[in-house]
Amino acid sequence: MAELKLEVSDGPSGTIIIDAAGHLDAHTFEQMEKQINALFESEKYKIIAKLDKLEYISSAGCGVFIQFVQEAQENDGNLVLLNATQNVVEVFDLLGLSSLFPMASSMDEAVGLFE
Amino acid sequence: MTSPASPSAPSEFRQELEIASDATLLQQVRTAVGAFVDRTPLPPGERNKVVLAVDEAVANIIEHGYEDAPDGWIRIDLCCRPDALSICIRDQGKRFDPSRVVDPDIETHVRQGKNHGLGIFLMRTIMDVVDYNFEHEAENRLTLIKYFKGASDGGAET
Repeated sequence: MAELKLEVSDGPSGTIIIDAAGHLDAHTFEQMEKQINALFESEKYKIIAKLDKLEYISSAGCGVFIQFVQEAQENDGNLVLLNATQNVVEVFDLLGLSSLFPMASSMDEAVGLFE
Repeated sequence: MTSPASPSAPSEFRQELEIASDATLLQQVRTAVGAFVDRTPLPPGERNKVVLAVDEAVANIIEHGYEDAPDGWIRIDLCCRPDALSICIRDQGKRFDPSRVVDPDIETHVRQGKNHGLGIFLMRTIMDVVDYNFEHEAENRLTLIKYFKGASDGGAET
């Protein structure tokens, strides 16, 4: 069974890091959805999704990020994707999302996207 | 879940998968489809995209066709033809014709925070053919075709 493991920690400059490992698909997307919802309910809108260990993403997974990025930005935050794997970048490219989503290849770059 | 691959002609081989309509089985489908694609002439760069297209189709059947009830069946027939990879996905869930779904405007999608409706768009973007039929008034039949490079009916890499 494909799994998604999420580890949440405090990041630099008031950000929250969600470190995602495994597969973000139609079976596991609700985990990510619940996690981001919980952060928003705590008024934490500066989120860095660390994706270097995310092996697979489908439209269901992309949909979670789509669902929340606007609200994060409207609350002076953002939802930044850090170190997305080639597989993940490819899916974002196929959907035409790469130009619409903040993506970073280093933590410094990710933090800079909140300024 | 799978039957062993069997050749029906020297330049053609097939494999059949069957799963219950259970989203926890999507990874098994992806693994099996990926292994089959690895045996075809499709270049490595296309492998993950084809796996994704099948995953999207099966996920849609589970969610929309069977409304997440895990007691339905989904049969996936994989066929490597001389000119193409042909994947036929059958189910007995609610009738659903993907050709009736309009491609989304992605910017609007993001602006509105819509988290659904992208799977069919991905299938159409990745595969050369996405064809739907409702067979015998009882069975949905979705055919996905990816032509090999240089095949006369297509062959353009996406």
